[in-house]
Amino acid sequence: MRTLALIALACGAPADVHRLVAQVAANIEAGISDVRYDGFLASGAASVSPTIRWEHPGGRGLLSARGTYLRFESGRHSLDGSANGSWFRPLARQWRGELGVSAGSSQYANIASFSHSEAGARLHLMDDERGGWVGATVGRSIFSGAPRRVIVVAAGVWLLRRDRTMFVSFDRSFVGETVYTDVRSSGRWQRAGIMLEGIVGARIWSRGGGRGVFGEGSATVPLGSDAALVLSAGRYPTDAVSGSIAGRYVTAAVRVGTIRVRKPDTHGQPSDSPVRRRSDSAPVAPETRLAIQVRRDDVLLTVHAPGATAVEISGDFTDWQPVPLSRNTADDESWARTFRISSGIHRINVRRDGGAWLVPGGTRRSADDYDGEVGIFVVP
Amino acid sequence: MILAVLLIAVQVAAQDPRLDRLDPDTRAQVTAVVDSARLAGLPAEPLIQRALEGATKGAPGPRIVTAVRRLSVDLGTARAALGDGASVPELEAGVAALRAGATPQVLANLHSVRRPPLTMALSVLADLVASGVPADSAAVAVLALAPKARDADLVEFRRAVERDIALGAPPAAATSIRVNAGADVLNAAGPPPPGPALPRRP
Repeated sequence: MRTLALIALACGAPADVHRLVAQVAANIEAGISDVRYDGFLASGAASVSPTIRWEHPGGRGLLSARGTYLRFESGRHSLDGSANGSWFRPLARQWRGELGVSAGSSQYANIASFSHSEAGARLHLMDDERGGWVGATVGRSIFSGAPRRVIVVAAGVWLLRRDRTMFVSFDRSFVGETVYTDVRSSGRWQRAGIMLEGIVGARIWSRGGGRGVFGEGSATVPLGSDAALVLSAGRYPTDAVSGSIAGRYVTAAVRVGTIRVRKPDTHGQPSDSPVRRRSDSAPVAPETRLAIQVRRDDVLLTVHAPGATAVEISGDFTDWQPVPLSRNTADDESWARTFRISSGIHRINVRRDGGAWLVPGGTRRSADDYDGEVGIFVVP
Repeated sequence: MILAVLLIAVQVAAQDPRLDRLDPDTRAQVTAVVDSARLAGLPAEPLIQRALEGATKGAPGPRIVTAVRRLSVDLGTARAALGDGASVPELEAGVAALRAGATPQVLANLHSVRRPPLTMALSVLADLVASGVPADSAAVAVLALAPKARDADLVEFRRAVERDIALGAPPAAATSIRVNAGADVLNAAGPPPPGPALPRRP
């Protein structure tokens, strides 16, 4: 929650923060995660994340750096690092200015690489317990050697209490031709040494950046003076600047070193998959995916549907009559059946447990002329 | 008069029994659209399937008729662009591309630069647009690759673009980069792996 830290610093939060926190703080976090990037199967992962942070004794600024090594079940790994700094300057009365810079780089399995660099300015208006800001950031993001211009305009308000902090922010990002708006609300609550943090938000007005709601939560439980257990879970959106793609995660980690509160990060960068972004809020069964195997005389359709007790399909190759699939004997989570399907383009919907007709993953989503959606696939 | 009566008799006789799932009024209107399409040399099966889809999804009759009429018009547009020799799958893929935002001229250009079947090329075009690639950029990319690329190459190209987009690349830029790297993509693309294309672990 960099923003929360910035709020504290922008306030000049002198006493409490700086008496309790050393000028330089460093820790390393090791954990295990279950991650599910959009369009990929769930995967276990192990992570190691060192962090170092320096804060100006007078609350005038901060510098921080962080790295994350993430190794997936497949043996692939991702590596990313980032650094940022902010400098605050008192302006007239309740106004403060902030200048910030950040840079980062990431690599996934020698397949995909990202880097970014940004500089920004914010104008803060603050009272003792509440405030707000407006700001703009410019920079560039480079994906596989292709640079893109980054512009972010943002505004937010915050409320600070003794044991809790809340803020709401609104930012509009322009990354090359990708444009999106994020609205977020975040809170932090501390009691008896346990820190709870949460964030909920929505991505709206998007072109190429996906849409939808997201939310993350974490609990930091001290295990002593120099260690803490950090439990976190949530869903986050694609970050077009840093290159992390949307996904869900559950993480348990142990943090050793100077114990501070911050947001755990399991954002990695998978690649090399028939990825289809989940960018809309229309009915989709992300856990229901269609695989097509063309054989000599027929086509085997397999629907991967974990947790389902019945799976039916309906399409132009069944005259749109629901047809039940049979559970795969070798894989409890898959359902299959063979069909005589002609070569060409076909339309399909899938139903789990008698529910609504959905678009299965692995097909192209398209409007169906009936206020719904249909999946489209091609048989060669 | 006699000819008209005979024509009606033939139409009634040719009415597809699958359309019995529609209410009588809707069935009559859909049948009329299907018959008109047949007379124009357009395929009837996609129209029947669109009506059945509406029936399964509980769409009201007028909505089904509208959908079938619209599809009939789009099939006609696709055939005009792709030529009288276009197959049913090509026409259906052409409709998908048109609805994704491709212009009839793009379909005609594709028809002129690529040997049939065009089904996969048109489908890839529609897939790219569905992935967020602007229709113009998708059309330029597919037209650039179409003369030499095999169907499997086009599928691999589409996967590469989708992967880049998923990793955060702007759709148009991802397409452009992959087209520019077309030689690598096409040369590196071997036959698709056997078996179902289940999602992989990261």
